[in-house]
Amino acid sequence: MSDHLELVIIALMPSGRRGQVRRGANLLDAARQLGVELESICAGRQTCGKCQISVEEGHFQKHGLTSSAASLTPMDGREAKYTAEHPLAPGRRLACACEVLGDVLINVPEESQARKQVIAKAATDRAIDVNPAVRQVYVEVEAATLESHGSDWERLQTALAEQWQLRDLTIDFLALPTLQPALKQGKHAVTVTLWQDREVLRLQPGYAEGAYGLAVDVGSTTVAAHLCDLRTGAVRATESAMNPQVRFGEDLMSRVSYVMMHPDGVAKMHRAIIAALNDLVRKAASAAGLSTDDILDLVMVGNPVMHHLFLGIDPVELGGAPFALAVNTAIDLKARDLGLKLNACARLHVLPCIAGHVGADNVAVQLAEAPHQQDEKMLIVDVGTNAEIVLGDRTQVLCASSPTGPAFEGAQITHGQRAAPGAIERVRIDPITLEPRFKVIGYDDWIEPGQVIDGSKATGICGSGIIEAIAELFLAGIIDRDGRFNEAAPERSPRVRFTGRTGEYVLADAEQTATGHPIVVTQSDVRAIQLGKAALYAGAKLLMEARGVTTVDRVVLAGAFGSYIDPKHAMILGLIPDCELSRVVAVGNAAGDGARIALLNKEMRLEAARIAQNARHVQTAVAANFQAEFVGAIAIPHATDPFPHLDGLLPKRAESDGAPIRRSQRRRQAVIGSLGH
Amino acid sequence: MSDDITTMDTEELIQKMQDDLYDGLAEETEAGTHELLRRGLTPYEALTRALVGGMDIVGVDFRDGILFVPEVLMAAKAMKAGMAILRPLLAETGAPQIGTMIVGTVKGDIHDIGKNLVAMMMEGAGFQVVNLGINCDADKFLAAYHEHQPEILGMSALLTTTMPYMQVVIKRFKEEGLRDKVIVMVGGAPLNAAFAEEIEADAYCRDAAVAVETAKKLVALKRAQPVA
Repeated sequence: MSDHLELVIIALMPSGRRGQVRRGANLLDAARQLGVELESICAGRQTCGKCQISVEEGHFQKHGLTSSAASLTPMDGREAKYTAEHPLAPGRRLACACEVLGDVLINVPEESQARKQVIAKAATDRAIDVNPAVRQVYVEVEAATLESHGSDWERLQTALAEQWQLRDLTIDFLALPTLQPALKQGKHAVTVTLWQDREVLRLQPGYAEGAYGLAVDVGSTTVAAHLCDLRTGAVRATESAMNPQVRFGEDLMSRVSYVMMHPDGVAKMHRAIIAALNDLVRKAASAAGLSTDDILDLVMVGNPVMHHLFLGIDPVELGGAPFALAVNTAIDLKARDLGLKLNACARLHVLPCIAGHVGADNVAVQLAEAPHQQDEKMLIVDVGTNAEIVLGDRTQVLCASSPTGPAFEGAQITHGQRAAPGAIERVRIDPITLEPRFKVIGYDDWIEPGQVIDGSKATGICGSGIIEAIAELFLAGIIDRDGRFNEAAPERSPRVRFTGRTGEYVLADAEQTATGHPIVVTQSDVRAIQLGKAALYAGAKLLMEARGVTTVDRVVLAGAFGSYIDPKHAMILGLIPDCELSRVVAVGNAAGDGARIALLNKEMRLEAARIAQNARHVQTAVAANFQAEFVGAIAIPHATDPFPHLDGLLPKRAESDGAPIRRSQRRRQAVIGSLGH
Repeated sequence: MSDDITTMDTEELIQKMQDDLYDGLAEETEAGTHELLRRGLTPYEALTRALVGGMDIVGVDFRDGILFVPEVLMAAKAMKAGMAILRPLLAETGAPQIGTMIVGTVKGDIHDIGKNLVAMMMEGAGFQVVNLGINCDADKFLAAYHEHQPEILGMSALLTTTMPYMQVVIKRFKEEGLRDKVIVMVGGAPLNAAFAEEIEADAYCRDAAVAVETAKKLVALKRAQPVA
């Protein structure tokens, strides 16, 4: 096996791209070859310092490699000169200066990525009744005299009781040293910042305005923070970043398994997320022209694994049945307890969780969408690697999670990628000519069949793109209801190609792509999406069965992914059950909205606790009929369930009249056909 | 081609039964099985030529993505209908055993659709399969081994967090001195061949069709070896 000596494995995080390269290959080129573009201004001359990377050392079972810094050529020449003049952070190297000598796992920091992630999380204009947990009051305090007893704290309490009817207060001991200076400077008038009308967090001399809070949604891939004015409710800044824990594992379960294999894993990932949040806090404050000292409250939501790691709790129990949470109730802490650098006295509120796979982020979604206040039956679907599904109305709310797998995020798809510039995100296929039009992230117009536009070259297909592509392939009769490429389709267009009896569709021509190779949708891509969508649909169906209903009145698509998918295509594919199309809505980052609601309204924190308490969790995977529902949902849109709201949109069933489908006959003809060539 | 199975010649009937299996037609498969027996084929011949032969084609097309989970399940059900007729006769006639497999989803994991598919395809290939269900610990696998004396131990996991448990089971089999007596095949979404090698399983199987091919190959190899 002399090949073994010549080829080495390289994996790049956070993209997860992995492949073999020639031993001795330049790292910058190798990364590019694997589809990971690094920032580089000097074109590999070791002068711009933009292509910095670091090596993750250790054995990585998931990537099947053992990575070491020695897998890269040592630093010399220009790189040494560059680093002497511009010191790099510890462990950093310039990719353009490195040759790859052995298997290696490379971490590409965000600033080195040429294609920054597009994050669709912007605060929506949801009407929130502002009644924050943290508020400011102005009081005038009696001056101390030689005759007066007690203390200034006592006199402040008296003033707050007389002027604001606030009693039984405590004061954070870190605020206490500022009491007398504030009184002195304010000439016995101070502005007091209070938490829950119970605790004094801050004292400012005289009249002061401005208390701010942060609503944070810690997703497994993206962390988003909204900086809000706690008085007006206005969003003053929105910042987001990649979750730095991605380098320990792309998905939730890989992070739990990282903890299982590394005793310091919890501490490492906890520190990483806190550091990332502190970074976001600084950025958000500076974007709003504020100091981090002005931020006095923070609400955090996240899925159970993110929630546990944020709190420094080992998530290992969430990694296997029975998926037990360490804690499910809401948590009130000081932000400083976790090392968060806001105002030293700032509070932190973590929303409650429901079950091992249904966390504070889902509670936040329910807080924002309020299924428990509806007369009509609302189905909420939050699509990610693990889909959370909620079905509810005024009488009862049920929830579940379903393992949809990473296909909707572009993984396991031949030309799949995350939603980033260059990704095909929308697709239309002409049902007659079978010619495709598509939209690429980062370019506004539709790209017509065969059209080549510089600056709009496609790099791959993201989740929304693959869903539309497969729904359109089905509408155009290129794939059948069972998901198989139709053998007759190549006669209609050269875009449908068969290798043996396995078909594929050419979505973007070589000239239209950044790689110079066509982007195709293959039979196995269709199969991966069928599995994912069947898991989602089956989960929804089991909740409907548990509730004793056969239809829903409204479907809400939550999450970044949900806001990009077209409701019609989602339904044609059978990702969601039948519903009036105008009543299928995408609500964007509802979890972030829910966090903001809890930040701005303290009553809503109690509401969140009630939601978590009352929601009934259904463990779908062990339900007796999960397999039957799953298998039924593999067909497009479904083997048996009717979709009356798609009447006229779906192709006529060719194999109607109740006659059994004779796939074997088609097979025989196809085999004879292929022999004839 | 006439549809009357009593008048077509035997080769034609076997062809038709393979098609019926492919199309997941249980009643037709039953009828065909009875007809083959009536014509004097041994139960073993009926099993291997019509049923296993048909399922082989299903396996190939599943591997190539032409058939998918629902179609394979239908075919497996039809196969099962035919097997129900043949199993007692096979036992009576002392026909050669193709092999036995115990299979389960490992401890901590509750996902079993993929594993069930493997079980059905293995049955389709003529193996006797003991499906242990979900959340199986090492004791359960060991007890099943002692009870059924299988040639193959199959383990499945859908979570990155539960797949390491496969190694725990393999270690237990080693400690009990049973590791060399059984072929260990593993599968599930987060696994790969490197992982299988690391935990010293005999094979990683990407899907049910690969599992069947691998099982046949490894059982044949094992039988070819002189008994130690």
